[in-house]
Amino acid sequence: MMRLLPRFTCLALSLLLSACITNKQSAIDPAGAQADRISTLWWSFFWLLGTIFIIVMIMTVLTLTRRRRGFEQEPLAQRHKASDETEHRLRRTITACTITSIVILFVLIFASVGTGRSNAEFHTAPNQLTIQVTGTQWWWQIQYMNSDATRNLATANEIHIPVGRPVHIVGVSNDVIHSFWVPNLNGKRDLIPSRVTDEWIEADHPGAFRGQCAEFCGLQHAHMAIWVIAEPEDRFQAWFRNQLQPAVAPSTPDLQQGQQVFLNHECIFCHQIRGTTAGGQSAPDLTHFGSRRGIAANTLPNTKGNLAGWILDPQSIKPGNHMATVEVSSTDLHPLIDYLESLK
Amino acid sequence: MTASQDIYPQTANVEQDVEQLRRAWRHPHGLLGWLSFTTHQAIGTRYIVTAFIMLLVGGIEALMMRTQLAHSNNGYLGPERYNQMFTTHGTTMMFLFAVPVMEGMAIYLIPLMVGTRNVAFPRLNAFGYWMYLFGVLFLYWGVLTNSAPDVGWFAYPPLSGPQFTPGKSTDYWAQMITFTEVSALCVAAELIATILKMRPPGMSLNRMPLYVWSILIQSWMVIFAMPAIVVASSYLLSDRTVGTQFVNPAEGGDPLLYQHIFWFFGHPEVYIIFIPALGFVSAIVVAHSRREIVGYTAMVLAQIANGFIAFGLWVHHMFATDLPQIGEAYFTASSMMIAITSGIQIFCWIATLWSGRARLTTALHFVYGFIAIFVLGGLTGVVLASVPLDLQVHDTFFVVAHFHYVLIGGAVFPLFGAFYHWFPKFTGRLMNETLGRVNFWVLFVGFNLTFFPMHILGLKGMPRRVYTYSPDMGWDNLNLLATIGAWVIAVGGVLFILNFLWSRKFGPVADNNPWEADSLEWAAASPPANYNFEYLPAVTSRYPLWVAREDRTVVTGTSTDRREVLVTTLMDAEPRHRYVLPGPSIWPLIAAICVTVGFAGSVFNGWYITWGTIISGLAFLGWFWPKRPLEPQHD
Amino acid sequence: MTEVRTIDVSHLKPYEISSQHPLWWGQFMFVFIEGTMFAILIAAYFYVRLRMDVWPPPGDQFPHRVLPTLELVPLILSCVGAYWASEAAKKNSRSGMLGGMALNLVLAGIALWLRIIEWHSLNFNWRTDAMGSYVWAFLGLHTFDYIGDMAFTAVLFVLVLIGRYGPKQRLGVHVDSIVWYFLVAIWIPIYVVIYWGPILVETQQ
Ligand code: HEA
Ligand code: HEA
Ligand code: HEC
Ligand code: CUA
Ligand SMILES: [Cu+2]
Repeated sequence: MMRLLPRFTCLALSLLLSACITNKQSAIDPAGAQADRISTLWWSFFWLLGTIFIIVMIMTVLTLTRRRRGFEQEPLAQRHKASDETEHRLRRTITACTITSIVILFVLIFASVGTGRSNAEFHTAPNQLTIQVTGTQWWWQIQYMNSDATRNLATANEIHIPVGRPVHIVGVSNDVIHSFWVPNLNGKRDLIPSRVTDEWIEADHPGAFRGQCAEFCGLQHAHMAIWVIAEPEDRFQAWFRNQLQPAVAPSTPDLQQGQQVFLNHECIFCHQIRGTTAGGQSAPDLTHFGSRRGIAANTLPNTKGNLAGWILDPQSIKPGNHMATVEVSSTDLHPLIDYLESLK
Repeated sequence: MTASQDIYPQTANVEQDVEQLRRAWRHPHGLLGWLSFTTHQAIGTRYIVTAFIMLLVGGIEALMMRTQLAHSNNGYLGPERYNQMFTTHGTTMMFLFAVPVMEGMAIYLIPLMVGTRNVAFPRLNAFGYWMYLFGVLFLYWGVLTNSAPDVGWFAYPPLSGPQFTPGKSTDYWAQMITFTEVSALCVAAELIATILKMRPPGMSLNRMPLYVWSILIQSWMVIFAMPAIVVASSYLLSDRTVGTQFVNPAEGGDPLLYQHIFWFFGHPEVYIIFIPALGFVSAIVVAHSRREIVGYTAMVLAQIANGFIAFGLWVHHMFATDLPQIGEAYFTASSMMIAITSGIQIFCWIATLWSGRARLTTALHFVYGFIAIFVLGGLTGVVLASVPLDLQVHDTFFVVAHFHYVLIGGAVFPLFGAFYHWFPKFTGRLMNETLGRVNFWVLFVGFNLTFFPMHILGLKGMPRRVYTYSPDMGWDNLNLLATIGAWVIAVGGVLFILNFLWSRKFGPVADNNPWEADSLEWAAASPPANYNFEYLPAVTSRYPLWVAREDRTVVTGTSTDRREVLVTTLMDAEPRHRYVLPGPSIWPLIAAICVTVGFAGSVFNGWYITWGTIISGLAFLGWFWPKRPLEPQHD
Repeated sequence: MTEVRTIDVSHLKPYEISSQHPLWWGQFMFVFIEGTMFAILIAAYFYVRLRMDVWPPPGDQFPHRVLPTLELVPLILSCVGAYWASEAAKKNSRSGMLGGMALNLVLAGIALWLRIIEWHSLNFNWRTDAMGSYVWAFLGLHTFDYIGDMAFTAVLFVLVLIGRYGPKQRLGVHVDSIVWYFLVAIWIPIYVVIYWGPILVETQQ
């Protein structure tokens, strides 16, 4: 066992290093003001508490060596304590350590309360963006709020934000408690039925950041992911304008057939495709589905193959999810898929 | 027949006294007799054995979870199974292993440590055990009939409500809580009464061993914390079964209220598990470094403070629910302040070991393991206490790492240490030390292998309670490492079982006090007779057995022909009056069965509450019906 | 084995009917447990109430206050009976115990009767809404303990009546009185919450 110990620790360390490579969903690879403050706080905690740990461990190990010195020459029966001055010395040391701990703790408290304040601070910037995120078993419903209702935008499972603009995330839920969490941008915020919660995110450089539902919400809690795509202002505006448009009309016969397939199946009871008669509200809006990165709350990358698999048998890909399995004949399937993918 | 106690009064007629005591405390024969035992050694042992079996079960569930998480997109357990696994694992470990095992150890040790013959309410003690056992059976009956709970060990509504989790599984969970509460409350009440009123003459409060202090504090925490979970689980149960609206947002109920009430119990709960473990550590450190504890008063005050503060920081489990700033600041501060009370104790132990003459036994190995692991776990706790940091790592594997460090490092390692330490008292034989050390190292390495990587996983964004993850998240390696570690721990567990079985048969025979320890339990025989001591000891020091024998004192004049003990005053433990304890009785079992009919039945049909109440009432009537001969009237 | 000094306790009483007795502490602990539970429920009631701006929720009529207030009189008087019985128990006066417990039971019975007829004025049940759930939880739990302790007292009454009692039973009479004081004391805040709570915290509009 003793010989194995070093080998295990080596393995652990090597993995520890390799561990810090892929950071698409990492709390210590900040891409925004809030996450940045937090990871700074984290590293100061890390070094401070790390030092404390090392010191305590050293003292502990030393007790093993010291035990052959001290007063054990005295026979056991008589005294079970050290000389009075030793006892005093020990008590003074303990008091000292305690006081140091208290001081350190106060530092930590002020540091974290400070960070908390600035992260929770409410922006009133005129250019701020407000997005309502609704947690639903097991996908994300997204609403871009706007003073004039015509510019309210409904989509799902993917958020685009402009770099350098504070974004106000308004969290609600209409079934169970979920938690909105995009680690590279900020900590998490629960989405609680009968309540409204707030959070601010602000990306400082472009990129795609993954988030995942963090509060256990039932069977498919594991497959409730969201992408936040931060892009320069102009790119964002372009995207936003495009998303406001109704779905593109099918141009080729193949796509027209695909649309008919969609409209003639139960899909329409749950899904909405703006610009068509499909007006279901209980499922992700598919108006621009083709432009999104993932399928089924980013359980699968958005490819034709995956889409076919999903439509034919959603329950085997994401057991228990609320999408019904709909009979789609093999001849109908391909047009349907081409159509959905054409919805850029 | 001679006394096994190491000291006896010159005056007494030892042979006759011992003979009478043996008759008065004899166990009844036969199965029915076995079911009506009320001695604390028997009941304590039953608790400990049952709890260790639950550790095994919970551990096997853990191994299944770890196997599922070994690599990405693993198909070994589906989402349904996995959710059931972590729920039953958490529930089993918290409610059916950790708390009961601490109670069992206390039931066994406290009467010995306070030099008396049994706990204050022996039949209530038996009743408590039966309720615990029926709780275990009730939950696992659900598990085996394929309706295991699957909403997490704190079952947040609305997910756990009738709308999103139909079926009986959550009802089993909530009602199991009721069973374990009843049991825990019985134990707490009788231990407090035992400690406050049945201490030996001379054991004033400031002479109580630190373990006794820890149990006193823990029991008070149970008294104040358990009612909260009674309320929370009844909310859930009545919303689900009789249609109340306690946590239903639609009708003015509030899901967050449930969280507040659950954690008002839930946080103290973790210290209810942890504080007795601190008692173990103190006892082991003192005995094996063969030295008085450094800073006794500081230790006691720290533990008391710990008990109080523990009720003031439940909200740190709810930081992500968007609370008012000011509240957050307060709960950050209180959560961090508790680091001080824990710190003081760590410092005192280190100082004691530092200036003592430590005998590096297996028990002490586990104490060193405890210090290493718990301090790390505590420090990650301080990280979690910081709101901004918690918002990142809350509900990730970082938290999972934290609480396994504090629960296993802080409670299970001391428990194993305590087991090695008191095993000779329980069985009369020592455990194998060599195997013990191997056992320790396997557990220590396996533990860190399992749970250290989880910190990194948490920071890399892996949420808890996910049944699988995709390969491009880069979580595979660390999870594999954790899974390997879990199996190493299992090997450690097997070693422990083997050592236990071997030592019970072939371990070297132990005398009364193999460790030359200080506290009273070591004055009794190993294993103790049903009556513990021929002559109740009196004490003159904090470390009674380190007083030279000729300077020690015992009590005479309690009648030996019935189960009589001495009641002393609360502060200074001056003899006050004698007290005849009830003997064996089948009524606790009957009462427990009747109550179980009510509890279990009410999950299916509300009327069972009425019927259960009526038959339980009758059972208690039988229990308390005065048996002839009524005790003699002395005035 | 070494021979040592001894403390002789044979002169001590074999029992004592007072707060010295472990069983007294057992009852005391029970009081703590129940008290904490009701305290939590009361806190929860106000938590819920403060999240709603109309209280009682629309449709629930305001609970009547006459009978519940009347009920307090026999309830509080019944403590006299309990006290009388427990003092008698210490002095081992059989007639005293019987008289005390009888008085206790009769007054408790009257109070219970008043409470139950009052229930008809509540036009909501526990299914209606959160307030209904809480009010009925209070009534249900307290009445349950209340009847439970009345039964306990009744049993002791019978035992003393037929003379089948010793120190243990007398101690029972003593601790029974403690539980009774508690049940009466805890009812007063509950009464305030149920019947005055709705106006205690004004509807903010
Ligand atoms: C034995 C059980 C136990 C113990 C002892 C602790 C101890 C502590 N715990 Fe832990 N905790 C749990 C069991 C325990 N916890 C469990 C089970 C959960 C999760 C429940 C769930 O969600 O499932 C949890 C979750 C939990 C959370 C919520 C995390 C989340 O869900 O987001 C928080 C947040 O504040 C927290 C904090 C602390 C703190 C500050 C301590 C402190 O008491 C630690 C104090 C100790 C030390 C700090 C080390 C020794 C001190 C020194 C060496 C002195 C010097 C130190 C300094 C100056 C810092 N714990
Ligand atoms: C005292 C409490 C306690 C203990 C001891 C443990 C012990 C272990 N826990 Fe525990 N765990 C919790 C309390 C505890 N846990 C709680 C409260 C939760 C939260 C649940 C929730 O989220 O609702 C949790 C959640 C939890 C998770 C997170 C699940 C998730 O969120 O997705 C994981 C995952 O790795 C895990 C793993 C383990 C492992 C590997 C052990 C190992 O240490 C177990 C090792 C023990 C054994 C293996 C048994 C002993 C072995 C033998 C006697 C040998 C014979 C057996 C075999 C050979 C099989 N636990
Ligand atoms: C019973 C309602 C229902 C029906 C009928 C239905 N769906 Fe769905 N669909 C859902 C739900 C709910 C989801 C979200 C599943 C999840 O991610 O958990 C979904 C998700 C999807 C997605 C992925 C959307 C995204 O952004 O993740 C696509 C594409 C889709 N459905 C296509 C279809 C097609 C095509 C049909 C008809 C053949 C169809 N659906 C029929 C309910 C339905
Ligand atoms: Cu949604 Cu977890
Ligand atoms: Cu806590």
